[in-house]
Amino acid sequence: MAASIGAVVYRALHSRRHRKLLSVGRGLFSGARCLVAEGETHFGFQKVSETEKGEKVYHVFESVAKKYDIMNDSMTLGIHRLWKDILLHQMNPYPGTQLLDVAGGTGDIAFRFINYVRSQWEHQIKQKLKSHQNLSWEEISKSYQEEELKLPGGSQVVVCDINKEMLKVGKQKAQHLGYSEGLSWVVGNAEELPFNDNKFDVYTIAFGIRNVTHIDQALQEAYRVLKPGGRFLCLEFSQVNNPLISRLYDLYSFQVIPVLGEIIAGDWKSYQYLVESIRCFPAQDEFKGMVEDAGFLKVEYRNLSSGIVAIHSGFKL
Amino acid sequence: FPIGAQIAVASAFRHAELPFPGAAPRRFSDRQKDQEQPKAFDPALLEFLVCPLSKKPLRYEASTNELINKELGIAYPIIDGIPNMIPQAARMIDRKAQDEEPKQT
Repeated sequence: MAASIGAVVYRALHSRRHRKLLSVGRGLFSGARCLVAEGETHFGFQKVSETEKGEKVYHVFESVAKKYDIMNDSMTLGIHRLWKDILLHQMNPYPGTQLLDVAGGTGDIAFRFINYVRSQWEHQIKQKLKSHQNLSWEEISKSYQEEELKLPGGSQVVVCDINKEMLKVGKQKAQHLGYSEGLSWVVGNAEELPFNDNKFDVYTIAFGIRNVTHIDQALQEAYRVLKPGGRFLCLEFSQVNNPLISRLYDLYSFQVIPVLGEIIAGDWKSYQYLVESIRCFPAQDEFKGMVEDAGFLKVEYRNLSSGIVAIHSGFKL
Repeated sequence: FPIGAQIAVASAFRHAELPFPGAAPRRFSDRQKDQEQPKAFDPALLEFLVCPLSKKPLRYEASTNELINKELGIAYPIIDGIPNMIPQAARMIDRKAQDEEPKQT
């Protein structure tokens, strides 16, 4: 079909831009496995109808919800924590920020946000002390009070996920760790967010966007709910630029991860899906284009771990 | 004397510093509150939430623990304090009949 040939050429062109010639062959191969016809989409390397993808993704996460965190630590050898920390550092939220964390399931980003904002506040207080500025009575009394009261500056984070099992796990974690104020949980679809326009300062989606059936709709919704001046941040698996690392990464992904999935979570298929979905997700530049299409400006990306993961950032201006 | 006050406040910080930022010391009264929390819905969320279909504000109905969009005649359930805002999860409010049977797709 002309459409699929055109798509192969398109993928080849994009591959050549940022991959060395050696891996173009591999790029074309995995690109070819990800080609789909109109009305279809990919569920890993499987071709499914668009309606099916949503259901299948839901079942994957429903099945892995309880073991999600353990699996993340095992698969990435704990490195996912560093990636998420870097995301927060790039966000650099000040007290008073309203964050929407989409596909935030078990709350990793939300908890880091709360910690960050709290330590920023403490840092501000200490700075004021050091420079001998007088603290207002409000600030002094707040420092004595328990952390249970409002987050500093009225910061708030809303965690939105399509899967209620993941949110349940997240909520339980929050209770265990003692996070309660300024944190809300909502079951919602990234393509149809239940929030009004111009509401949030920051929108994050960490390791979630490749599971969305219509990525462009999710990006448009992200644009809609952000305030003018708001920031879009996406942390997602991406394409590795180094051919040696790429080969080791492929080996690890296809040989080790599904086995870990079977041993730890008792679910080979879900982790096979995970690994395949990473291969089918657009590369850094292509995704950057999609973010720009949604209206975001000053779109940039930053590779982490040689491109295994990338952080895309854009602003609504 | 301002220096003295600052030293007092600084030492208060050292005492107030918790094992890691974000941890709240657990008191007995907190534990009771936490046990209630799973069921309760935080009305502050209403400030952000709208119906995903019409983007219109919602009304919280405490008796059935649902969020109602009167215009479209649908209600979104709240389970374990988490509102479910997926359109397929919402049920139609039958205005004529009195029965509360949920019609879920």
